[in-house]
Amino acid sequence: MSPLPRRNPRALAVVLAAQLSASATWAQQSPPATESPPASEDTPALSPEEMEEIEKALGTDTSTRARPSGDTSPASPTATNDSGVTPLKLPNAISGGTNFLNLSFILDMALAAFSNKEPLQGGAHDPTKNGFNLQQLELSIGSVVDPYFRFDSNLVFSQFGVEIEEAYVTTLDLPANLQVRAGQFLTRFGRINATHPHAWDFVDQPFIMSRYFGAEGNRGLGVEGSWLTPLPWYVEVIGSATDATGEATARSFFGAAAERVLSPLDFQLTGAVKQFFPLSDDLSLLWGLSAATGPNATGYRNHTSIYGTDVYLKFRPITSQSSQQLVLQAEVLYRRRQVPDDVLSDWGGYAQTVWRFSNRWATGLRYEFGSAAKTLEGRVANDPLDPEWTSDRQRITASVTFWPTEFSRLRLQAATDRVGWRESPDYSAFLALEVVTGAHGAHAF
Amino acid sequence: MRSLRLFAALCAAVVSLTAVPARADLKVVATLPDLAALARAVGGDKVDVTALALPTQDPHFVDAKPNLALALNRADLLIAAGLDLEIGWLPTLQLGARNSRIQSGNPGYLDASRFVSLQEVPAGQVDRSQGDVHPGGNPHYLYDPRQALKVAAAIEARMSQLDAKNAAAYKANLAKFTQELQAAQAGWEKRLAGFKGVPVIAYHRTTAYLQDWLGFKTIAFLEPKPGIPPNPSHVAQVLGQGKANKVKLVLKEDYYPDNIAKLVASKIPAALVTLPGGTDFRSGQTYVQRLELMVGRLEQGLAGKGE
Repeated sequence: MSPLPRRNPRALAVVLAAQLSASATWAQQSPPATESPPASEDTPALSPEEMEEIEKALGTDTSTRARPSGDTSPASPTATNDSGVTPLKLPNAISGGTNFLNLSFILDMALAAFSNKEPLQGGAHDPTKNGFNLQQLELSIGSVVDPYFRFDSNLVFSQFGVEIEEAYVTTLDLPANLQVRAGQFLTRFGRINATHPHAWDFVDQPFIMSRYFGAEGNRGLGVEGSWLTPLPWYVEVIGSATDATGEATARSFFGAAAERVLSPLDFQLTGAVKQFFPLSDDLSLLWGLSAATGPNATGYRNHTSIYGTDVYLKFRPITSQSSQQLVLQAEVLYRRRQVPDDVLSDWGGYAQTVWRFSNRWATGLRYEFGSAAKTLEGRVANDPLDPEWTSDRQRITASVTFWPTEFSRLRLQAATDRVGWRESPDYSAFLALEVVTGAHGAHAF
Repeated sequence: MRSLRLFAALCAAVVSLTAVPARADLKVVATLPDLAALARAVGGDKVDVTALALPTQDPHFVDAKPNLALALNRADLLIAAGLDLEIGWLPTLQLGARNSRIQSGNPGYLDASRFVSLQEVPAGQVDRSQGDVHPGGNPHYLYDPRQALKVAAAIEARMSQLDAKNAAAYKANLAKFTQELQAAQAGWEKRLAGFKGVPVIAYHRTTAYLQDWLGFKTIAFLEPKPGIPPNPSHVAQVLGQGKANKVKLVLKEDYYPDNIAKLVASKIPAALVTLPGGTDFRSGQTYVQRLELMVGRLEQGLAGKGE
């Protein structure tokens, strides 16, 4: 949405100052007593053959070898986690023992190169130009409010402003397996929409999301209710009503148009069903069905409906020692828009697979597709949102990820974008860095 | 209309047939299989116990699978190891469970570490440059039967509080378990008496309580910092220390990779002992059997018969 109005910079400044001073005092502390094992008196040198054998088993050292002992530059456990971000082991260090607020900063930046002068990068956190790109600096603040509510927020700083990406409360104590979220939140349409860039396997967003929902993904101010059914397997039913405006968050609906809400039909209504099947200890399947409907700006009572399905299949051996993971994730979306005297329909989606082949390394491949909008008669329509989108677009992306620890990752990504209405394919390459500091909590499955 | 009615009837049938499995008085969910085994020993047939993690799984890194949240949704009591061991996955599950009984701070949430004599509590400030340091202390306390006994007593107290009508049964079960464990412990201590002062190398910082119990000395860890995978220069240093100190044993859990531990053990040379990562709860193993297995492997290793 639009940048945060300058109304309330003071609160933010207070939070920031608190964070900074906390980290400053923390940094000033003398280096803590590490309970390292007692070093032996004399360590005999190893023979070159032995060293070679060790290196064969482990690979040669990269950065760690050059480190002097007593080096305290950040280093942390390597996790095997689907998002690359996980547990945080020192909640008390930041808040000085009283654990009321969880604060964290996430920085995403990328060095990018594009073959085309105007690359089609629709996401608000995508690299979009040659050279260095600040994708985002995200400040997450979360806390339990009282026995009944939990509060979570994600504020995103770009180079020229601040934006409230999400700020919502979640109920903790409703009966009958119900849970309500209220505030500004990403709707739980599909799988990737509700997540933030640091949970994504690729540096940029699938283009279907920015085409259907906008650069920021589908979100809005509103209310969401969800119900965990009493069935023997995991079935969650979700429904939400959110405002249908926002160029970057609801572009297939009211989008940038400043329409008034005159009836409940002027909200975006979203519904989803998520089911989880633990096929075995090692293999899991998450399957979702989603639908969103809301008014669009092309005329009185004209509506847009978007339907989607998503699958997430994860193979992670836990019944024996292994650091490998193989994940398959796909989403397909179908959109129908009522416009004056016609109905436009189009579809698109992505499928990706990520193979984590060792503790610290993963490689991934993604395929994306988007069709041109067709009229009822089947002709290519004059799309009011993307007039240039007159034929199919496909994009293929490959990536390699390295996690020094689960709090940082380096990614190299290359893509070829086959844009039907452009004369030649576009190419791009990114080198991206992401770091997470603070008490950023665990991610959902 | 008819099909709608049929559908409703079908739904009702599915729900009533499947949602109410064998009725136990108390539904207990434990994060680790060791805790589940203790809960089973205390609860007996009055409780229905589920473990979230498998013994072959590194308890730091468990996927927050939705079916685990489902187990928590139906739980009366959640037993966690605490000390931030499960911080990467349990909070997500607790929030997703929609069950206020098992939220932290409520009687249905039991942090077992509160009842343990803790080891390796960091004296100063900690930060992530030290690796995966647990600010509250070392969370791997169930390797020591004396700590397990304290946890079992705490579980008994909490079960009796939540389910007063079976309190007598829980007390009796605890007494029986205490007797069994203490008898076994005396035997184990006799068999492992040779461990006093023996220098060993461990993979991760899991041996704090075990060495406190058995009296051996962990002189080095294969991980350069807790949670950081071994790198060549560190391993070379550890190997040097191992040779200098005449290390007899290299210990690792079965969820850690064994190539480097094997290599180091063969170079020193020392016996490699793979410790069970936890109780094989699903196949009916008890906590006493799990420790028996561990003691057996340690005994073999001490006799020079490692893997």
